[in-house]
Amino acid sequence: MSKNLSELSGRKGLKYNLFDELGKLAIEDGTPNKDALAKAADEFLIGKANTYGTASFYDFMRPENKGKKAYVCNGSACLCAGTQDGVRTELEKHYKADEIGDMCCLGRCHENGAFHIDGKNYSAKTAAEIAQIATNGKQNGVQGNQDKYAIECYGTQVLTAPFPGVDAYYELLLSMIERGQDACLEDIKKSNIRGRGGAGFPMWIKLDGCRKQDADQKFIVCNADEGDPGAYTDRYLLEEQPHSVLFGMMMAGFITGADYGAVYIRAEYPEAIEITENAIKDLYAKGWLGENIKGTGFNYNFKVIKAQGAYICGEETALLNSIEGQRPEVRVRPPYPVVNGLFNKPTIVNNVETLAAVHYILEKGGDNYASIGGGKSTGTKLLSLDSHFNKPGMYEVDMGTPLKEVVYNIAGGFKKPVKAVHIGGPLGGLVPTHKIEDLTIDFESFAQEGFLLGHASMLCVPEEFPMVKYLEHLFEFTSHESCGKCFPCRLGAKRGSEMFHKAQNEDYKIDRELLNDLIHTMETGSLCALGGGVPLPIRNGLMYFEDELKEYLS
Amino acid sequence: MKKVAYINNRPFAIEEGETILQFVRRYHGKNAVPTLCDAPNLDPFGSCRVCSVDVALEQGGKTKTQASCHTPVQEGSYIYPESQNIQKLRKNIIELVLTDHPLDCLTCEVNGNCELQDVAARVGIRDVRYPDGENHLDRKKDLSHPYMTSDLSKCINCYRCVRACDEVQGQFVLSMAGRGFDSKIIKGMDETFFESDCVSCGACAQACPTSAISDIFQSKAVKATEKTRTVCTYCGVGCNLEVSTANGEILSIQAPYDAEVNEGHTCLKGRYAFGFYNHEDRIKTPLIKRNGKFEPATWDEAYDLIVSKFKSILETDGPDAIAGISSARCTNEENYLMQKFIRAVVGTNNIDGCARVCHSPTALGMQRTFGTGAATNSIEDLKHTNCILVIGANPTSGHPVTGARLKQFAMKDGNISIVIDPRRTELAKYATYHIPLRPGTNVAVMNMMLYYIISEGYVAEEFVKNRTEGYEEFEKQVLATDINGMAKIAGVDKNLVREAALAYARAERAMSFHGLGVTEHSQGTFAVIQIADLAMITGNIGRKGVGVNPLRGQNNVQGMADMGVQPHQGAGYLDVTNPDVNGLYNNFYGRKVPSHIGYKIPEMFDAAIEGKLKALWIMAEDVVQTDPNTHKVRKAMDSLELLVVQELFMSPTAEMADVILPGASFLEKSGTFTNGERRVQRVNQVVAPLPGTKPDGQIVVDVMNRMGYPQPDYDPAVVLDEISQIVPFFKGIKWAELGKNGKQWPVKEDGTDTKILHGEEFKRGKGRFVFNEFAETTEIVDHGREFPFILTTNRELEHYNCGTMTRRTNNVKILTEDTVMVNPADAALKGVKDGDSICLISPRGKVDLKARLTDEVRQGVLSTTFHFPEIMVNELTGDVHDSEAKCPEYKVVAIDFRKSKGLVGRKVGEMVEVN
Repeated sequence: MSKNLSELSGRKGLKYNLFDELGKLAIEDGTPNKDALAKAADEFLIGKANTYGTASFYDFMRPENKGKKAYVCNGSACLCAGTQDGVRTELEKHYKADEIGDMCCLGRCHENGAFHIDGKNYSAKTAAEIAQIATNGKQNGVQGNQDKYAIECYGTQVLTAPFPGVDAYYELLLSMIERGQDACLEDIKKSNIRGRGGAGFPMWIKLDGCRKQDADQKFIVCNADEGDPGAYTDRYLLEEQPHSVLFGMMMAGFITGADYGAVYIRAEYPEAIEITENAIKDLYAKGWLGENIKGTGFNYNFKVIKAQGAYICGEETALLNSIEGQRPEVRVRPPYPVVNGLFNKPTIVNNVETLAAVHYILEKGGDNYASIGGGKSTGTKLLSLDSHFNKPGMYEVDMGTPLKEVVYNIAGGFKKPVKAVHIGGPLGGLVPTHKIEDLTIDFESFAQEGFLLGHASMLCVPEEFPMVKYLEHLFEFTSHESCGKCFPCRLGAKRGSEMFHKAQNEDYKIDRELLNDLIHTMETGSLCALGGGVPLPIRNGLMYFEDELKEYLS
Repeated sequence: MKKVAYINNRPFAIEEGETILQFVRRYHGKNAVPTLCDAPNLDPFGSCRVCSVDVALEQGGKTKTQASCHTPVQEGSYIYPESQNIQKLRKNIIELVLTDHPLDCLTCEVNGNCELQDVAARVGIRDVRYPDGENHLDRKKDLSHPYMTSDLSKCINCYRCVRACDEVQGQFVLSMAGRGFDSKIIKGMDETFFESDCVSCGACAQACPTSAISDIFQSKAVKATEKTRTVCTYCGVGCNLEVSTANGEILSIQAPYDAEVNEGHTCLKGRYAFGFYNHEDRIKTPLIKRNGKFEPATWDEAYDLIVSKFKSILETDGPDAIAGISSARCTNEENYLMQKFIRAVVGTNNIDGCARVCHSPTALGMQRTFGTGAATNSIEDLKHTNCILVIGANPTSGHPVTGARLKQFAMKDGNISIVIDPRRTELAKYATYHIPLRPGTNVAVMNMMLYYIISEGYVAEEFVKNRTEGYEEFEKQVLATDINGMAKIAGVDKNLVREAALAYARAERAMSFHGLGVTEHSQGTFAVIQIADLAMITGNIGRKGVGVNPLRGQNNVQGMADMGVQPHQGAGYLDVTNPDVNGLYNNFYGRKVPSHIGYKIPEMFDAAIEGKLKALWIMAEDVVQTDPNTHKVRKAMDSLELLVVQELFMSPTAEMADVILPGASFLEKSGTFTNGERRVQRVNQVVAPLPGTKPDGQIVVDVMNRMGYPQPDYDPAVVLDEISQIVPFFKGIKWAELGKNGKQWPVKEDGTDTKILHGEEFKRGKGRFVFNEFAETTEIVDHGREFPFILTTNRELEHYNCGTMTRRTNNVKILTEDTVMVNPADAALKGVKDGDSICLISPRGKVDLKARLTDEVRQGVLSTTFHFPEIMVNELTGDVHDSEAKCPEYKVVAIDFRKSKGLVGRKVGEMVEVN
């Protein structure tokens, strides 16, 4: 985190965005060349070390990415499904081994076999399909894409409601502007909606905090860096309901006095980027964006920022650094983004799903929304279910819905024996199947039982998949994605993955006390929820699967 | 009721906005909480987590572990800095660190002074339990650079170096590359130190808690037996230095964090360029020229010769045939003694110093306007200002520590920075407004600024009414300015000037800074007056964060003038022609002191050539190389009967001397220097003078005694005591009371000093507005047609003045030569390519230099440095001086240039005979 770099990047801001420019420089070769990085540094009055340091951070900009043409998903769902060795073998028939890279979770957890070619995502079941995509994809781009999943609502339809068309949908903006900022904020407050990105922080507190800041410029940032393997909720919303997200951002802008929105979408979701960009174009064309929108005096503009492959950017302060073209390392708090966010200006960072609920809340009223669910968890929640369920897909349920209802009724149970469901991403709780009946879909129930609702993705660990391998995968994932800033995460995740790897492949048993110390160090010492969060599923694993694991422990 | 929080259940008062770390350390000392990524001059970063503490909302309540360095202390919270949980956490973090750190402490250069070692010992690490894993112990050392070194196998990824490079120096040379476990420190784009854009300030080396980044002097090693705090001898910033020595030899230099002036920072000159002090070239014995050759002599022989010559000249030609040039490099006490010798012992006011060729217009212009010729405010005021106006100064090179602060200021959104400079300087790149005027047109541009401020109603009327005089007439004259005409003359966009002027006027607090780009002009004094006018007209005087702040060039150029080194004012700026003052001096010195004004330096040269001046004593100054129009200076030196030069090294001036006296460097003597913000700071002797040399003050004292004036041996405490009795603003200054950070004059008798001048009223009563119209320099009027380009001069960071000192250090390996900057369009016109040798031709001479093509200079303007005197840039400079203060016009030379021909057998930069 550098104040100076934030300021200098902020001079050109979102319009001519440093990170965006760096991304463009990588398009041709997979990594920007040094001359171009030096030029960008000069242009932005920053150091060559800064542009180089930034580029070297991201999967899709770092020097190692040079010449990569195809990417195989190595997310947890595809790993557990065991489809990826086949995908790679097949792709190697069409590409040189060093032309094939990895991408972490393309959000095809519902069907697996996911890979990425020429800016498009695919999931294929058979070698023939892969061959067809590899050939066609190389030649003319598309074809052969599956991406079919159930989209159903089992309660109040908030996030999955059909879209009535731009003008009809945005009418609400005009009436809300008329109602004024206070009334809008009051509804959000009454709705008691909590952040859907995982942390569950009340939305209204952020809005209120940002609104109170006296600043010449404020920003609304949508965190669409849905990096959790197993989660594709945000992908669904951006691809199928982009206007709900954009509308939420505009309202957040209206309430706080921000006139610029940045949608930060991961590069692993190329279709979401395209669809969102088109939705914004449509809004401009219909006069719903720009200066003095429909004569209301309200100004608003959007910028879609394409991420470059780094899980940590889902952490809000890393995300802000990322947009600024800095290395996306986690910032210390305070100052909080609502005071000192993007380019050191007051900034709201909200998750896609949180923003997508705003239209419903303002249209139906905060009380209405608050009446869905209960306690501290109100409204509805989207759940993304992976291919181990009989009916994989996207389900909207009211908060408070029993988990067993979701698993066994809505999703039709498991296709094959499953020993645990990893809910809420890699940092969420590892729920053994026998605990399913103790949980309901809300923040409190999960916390009480020692799990975490998180973003509510549901990813199954099959019975035959070794738990020791799964825990190694979690450590390895954390190590690969650690920004490297804080000592416990940078070093701890690496040592954790090494210990688990050694235990499976060498005559080595993990010192239980050392492992406990490591987990304690990461959990209590880490700067952010990555290093601080991975101990939870590790602990769950150690607790519920002790029998399976004890041969690896001393 | 004071708000409290609890440390181990005991209540302590908290301060608004402090972090837990600050809070705990304030009561329990620095060692109360161990840290690795924290550093005194850097923002909290939160990477090492070693500073974590447990915090509960009630006594014995549920605790949460928080990093104390970036968590604000909460009222009523219960902090447990050493709970079992915390002890375990710290130990386990350090154990992780040691899985990727070489365990070779005993052979490490920082053994005994390593923060990792200290913390590891403190948390009680016994062993590393992790199995062998991946590590970075095979990283190679980088020894490419003349000063900086790195051994990243020792790196713990605390980012302190990266942050120092960013937050302190503002250079962005260092960053991290890669991510997670593989992330590593890089210089530039993963290059060596030498290949990178590193400015060698050493902030990273000082910040590094291990030896991952260090320097060739191993400045964090514990070899030193002694550490001495002193003040840097280079520029007028006045950085405090902490010099490590062992066995009477200097090992290394660091910047103390508690220094008010430099707050733990300094530049490559202050930190690394000290090697000159015992360089083999030092003159180690007095030298007397016999038959055109220098022969070693004893001090007695040298003194006898000087004294007998002085006496015979006094007898035959009178005291005014003798003159002295004192030195801004020497201490206040030495300068005081030198002027005392000339005035009281010789009996003439022929005393002057190098301020003549740099900031004499500043002193004069500010005296005329305010009554005092010194900076009105302090550098720390940058923390309180909203706007900086930097005119004719390139502080990132010339005054690097202040430059770094100005750059930090300019980078922040919301701050206004205005740079008026022909060159796109480092600061100009970051400025809100850069006005790239033609050299020599400062007065035109500032009259435009005054015009816009007045005509658009931004005058601070109350201030002008209550605090100033002469405004009505001034306003009329300013409003008569031909704006379009001036804009054309200066070659500037008038709207840009307008915007900048109004931004300056609108700022709640605006500070101006100026350098030699203002003073070294034919209208230098007038431009200074305008800068003062701009401050007065906007009410930017007498408060925090405002004022007129000349960036004084040399370490003690302020002090030199304060001590009376000028022909019209004695010690304390008292007018020598005033009968009361004359009486005071007569009485104080116990001798009859003359009351007519003596020669200024250029007048000394004229008088020597005319045969009126017979003897000149120069203390530590190289006039042949640094004063304009070298031919004339040489002629003057040749015309003298006696030239005495006190020097460290043989210089072109020393070579012309009859007697050379070997002086001592700042590291070998004590005294005081006064920096550009009037801060009188103690220079403490670090090592004994090289055998055969003497402190310059002692040399003067020796000659005084031999001339029959009883003066006790050089002891700064004693001389300072004498000074405090005659210089009014030194009244309360006592050697023993100056402390670590010195005092800013005026110092009252009770010892209280002054950070801001002219608070209630100006030194002269009311501030005086005087209008001066732009006038083209005769250099351009007379020669502009034939020599259509303008050559101006600038500095490079690595070298100091003519390089006498810096070229005897490794700095010369970093910057090896002078070059001349040429705009690519001009170069194309003359068929010159980057790196070509070009011949610069002025009405006075020709010089060959290597061209560097850059758009840092505008079309029609070339700029060069003069650090490598063999090039003799002053062969080109002319005889035009500031109309008031006689400061030479170094900044505007009419020239033409062409690609050099016939360079075969001749080195670039070699002197060329004038046809």
